[in-house]
Amino acid sequence: MIYDLIIVGGGPAGLSAAIYAGRFRMKTIVLAREMGGTVVNTHLIENWPGFKSLSGVELMEKIGDHVKSVGVEIRQAEVMEIKRKDKNFLIKSDGGEFEAKTVLLATGTKHRKLNVPGEKEFYGRGVSYCAVCDAVFFKDKIVAVVGGSDSAAKEALLLSEYGKRVYIIYHREKIRAEPINAERVAANKKIEVINNTSVLEIRGDKFVQSVMLDKPYKGKRELKLDGVFIEIGYDPQSELAKGMGVELDKRGEIVMGRESQTNVPGVYAAGDVTTGSFKQAITGAAQGVVAANSAYDYLNKK
Amino acid sequence: MNVTVYSTSTCPYCKMVREYLKKRNMDFKDINVAEDKAKAQEMIDKSGQMGVPVIDVDGQIVVGFDKAGLDKVLTK
Repeated sequence: MIYDLIIVGGGPAGLSAAIYAGRFRMKTIVLAREMGGTVVNTHLIENWPGFKSLSGVELMEKIGDHVKSVGVEIRQAEVMEIKRKDKNFLIKSDGGEFEAKTVLLATGTKHRKLNVPGEKEFYGRGVSYCAVCDAVFFKDKIVAVVGGSDSAAKEALLLSEYGKRVYIIYHREKIRAEPINAERVAANKKIEVINNTSVLEIRGDKFVQSVMLDKPYKGKRELKLDGVFIEIGYDPQSELAKGMGVELDKRGEIVMGRESQTNVPGVYAAGDVTTGSFKQAITGAAQGVVAANSAYDYLNKK
Repeated sequence: MNVTVYSTSTCPYCKMVREYLKKRNMDFKDINVAEDKAKAQEMIDKSGQMGVPVIDVDGQIVVGFDKAGLDKVLTK
């Protein structure tokens, strides 16, 4: 079977594209290593129109059900390589090979590491990249979130529901949270922002016991705590794109045009992996939808 | 084969693990460590881990949604 469209990635961008592609009656399949994408790590989404508040998991379950209702399959498979096969594309995955006339790369991002001593050693022993997963282990404990993004602020707010004290350690002057979340951080008595400061090392024995800062905080460079949540941003997962000659920018993001097209005819891109500057579930979804429409037009003109 | 999944209700990777085990038609015990402090400690003692999911397959521990790691202990 030759698919009209194969979507690589199971986040908001890929699955929104799948809804449209299904309704366009394109033969479509979604190949996703992890269903839901990085947004499933979000405790609460409060800016998806129509839903005042829902979790990332809830949103993706709803979107996943929507995809299935239009007859598009979402398959758990990791794509290893995509290459040309005559006019089509051959997609090699750990779940077999697939052939498609067009491809949408909605491969998202992966968590950036801090790259300091102790990070790897204490992963799962006080170091975490997922507050929504692991916050419960830090009831009445002291934790820090490293990073100053909106995601970091949201993680700190979630952690404050469990821990007795939450530090936000950020290397710049002022955290970059959405103003509504910055207000919540400022009003939260458990949260303390340590600005203009970096973490140099994570220390402990069996579990994390402290972090070393690059400058003293309240007179000490060593800050005692039980948990470190690292939220310093994401890097694009664009290796597949690179391997098939799709143009990337210097950050490794896929250069995406207004119609979600790439430089390779028949190959589209959407979501956090692209050069789109405002990385949100909803912008990714919109780019995915545009990509589905562009692929549809492309096949009809052929 | 005795399979136990230590998880929390909000953890997305726990959900992926449960779905994957179901796909493989594996029976498993699911323990919510957010609600059961003793079991949370049991998990930490067994795995040295303070993060979920942790999967115990006949005493062999897999951490996180590690498909390859799970496949390895499940096919033994």
